[in-house]
Amino acid sequence: MGDTIEVNGLRKSYGGRVVNEIPRLTLSEHRIEGLIGPNGAGKTTLMSLITGRIRPDTGSVRLLRDGAAIEITGMSLNRVARLGVVRTNQKIQDFESLTIEDSMLLSLATDRDEGPGRLFGERDFRERCDPIIADYVAAMKFADRSAHALSAGEKKLLDIVRCLLLEPKILLMDEPTVGLPTEQTDEVMALVSRVAERQDMKVVIIEHDLDLIWKVCEHVHFMADGQILLHGTPEEVRTNRLVRDKYMGESHA
Amino acid sequence: MFDLLTSYTLFSLSTVMGFVALATLLHLQFGLAGIVNFGVVGFWGLGMYAFGVLLIQFEVPYPLAMLLAVAIVAAVSLLIGWVIVDLNDQAVLVATLAFGTIVTSLVTTEKWLTEGVVGLGSVPYPVETGDGALWQFVVLTAVTAAIVIYAARIAKTPYGRLLAAKRDNEPLARGLGKNTSRHKLTIFVITCALMGFVGTLSAPVHRFLTPDLIGPGVTFSAWIALIVGGKRHPLGGVLGVALTIFVFDFVIETYVPVPSEHAATVTVIKTIVYGVTLIVALMFRPLGLLGPGRKRGSR
Repeated sequence: MGDTIEVNGLRKSYGGRVVNEIPRLTLSEHRIEGLIGPNGAGKTTLMSLITGRIRPDTGSVRLLRDGAAIEITGMSLNRVARLGVVRTNQKIQDFESLTIEDSMLLSLATDRDEGPGRLFGERDFRERCDPIIADYVAAMKFADRSAHALSAGEKKLLDIVRCLLLEPKILLMDEPTVGLPTEQTDEVMALVSRVAERQDMKVVIIEHDLDLIWKVCEHVHFMADGQILLHGTPEEVRTNRLVRDKYMGESHA
Repeated sequence: MFDLLTSYTLFSLSTVMGFVALATLLHLQFGLAGIVNFGVVGFWGLGMYAFGVLLIQFEVPYPLAMLLAVAIVAAVSLLIGWVIVDLNDQAVLVATLAFGTIVTSLVTTEKWLTEGVVGLGSVPYPVETGDGALWQFVVLTAVTAAIVIYAARIAKTPYGRLLAAKRDNEPLARGLGKNTSRHKLTIFVITCALMGFVGTLSAPVHRFLTPDLIGPGVTFSAWIALIVGGKRHPLGGVLGVALTIFVFDFVIETYVPVPSEHAATVTVIKTIVYGVTLIVALMFRPLGLLGPGRKRGSR
């Protein structure tokens, strides 16, 4: 069954403008879900509210795990991540002084590995991590793991890899295809699907590339003007009149 | 001739060594963790004065006075760290700079405790034999070496990568589950307490403690040395101090025969040269002599 996220009476506004108003929503009931909607619909805000990057005005976000509900409203970003709810970034983000390998080691290090007194054990730690890193380097076709991620594409891939290395229970992907060539997008999504199967991970994807959404998602949420207007199978959402009017009207008519 | 045993030579070298320790601790705080501590002198001076006051005014036994002084600095830095931990760089800079100034002012005004500008004296060496100054220098060198080795090692551990990640992009590090606030506070308190410890070791070197020992010049000297040497490199502080403070406070003062009527000029020239060196370093090697230099094509 796995983890799901339950949102109740969530509301967030900036200067009187309501950007999110969601009475009730359950995310990640399915293995891979999509969250679509026009720009400014509040999709990214919703993800920020879930991961604790920003706090809601009212309402709650709960993580349902093994029949128990964990209140994650207002919890800090790092604690939510440690609970297994992790998000990949829409904008290109990187640690400029860390190499690709360093970045992966950073993700793989647990609280127990990190401390001012832990001066030794680096070799064991690297040995432990090496096969995992090697797998991802091969899968993502990084040329040189001891170099820095240079292109926007490499940085985007590294961002996704860092998140996968945390072995999240729920992975929120905010526009993963932006800045990536099409063939690479397919590889990334194939990899994410594989990891999702293997590690019992749920995925929620925000995307404007609707072909990708229809292809990989089992369930799709449609959002506009800060509200979730519709859920359903890709087929139901794609053929819905409201979605066509509000979103696909111009480009996909 | 190069005679290590003259008391003046030992005094100069001990002072220089103290700066190496401070600059390297600053490397850990700023170069590695990105904490903009402009109150170096506050932590060092608080350690020095707390130790002196406990030892002289309250006649606390020597080792216990050192221990208590370091504990006081740790407690104060925990309090300051707790306030500044999630503020932005500018706020941290101003807060720590203010803290340094407060320590200097309090030392000057609280005469009942510190004797003010008259000076608190005199702090003896732990061993009051003829070799006290030499042993103090040896201990300072050993402590400094330990700090440098620690800095070199920690950078290549998960903790070092975590601090570098925090410095580069804190929200991203948090998103990966890293409790950056807690780690910032930990490294800040440890390194500030060590600055205080270096202060307790510096106290007998100066012997007579006066407020002019703990002016903002200490902070700026440590910063300039670190920036010139290379803020990101564990040996940046060592090299930077060797090129700045060592040259002026040791080589020139000890071996260059400056006529006494020009002695005051040397101090002024020193300040000018420090300033010029800093500007040149920032223009041509913003990451210092041991840094990688300007990346081609980047910013």
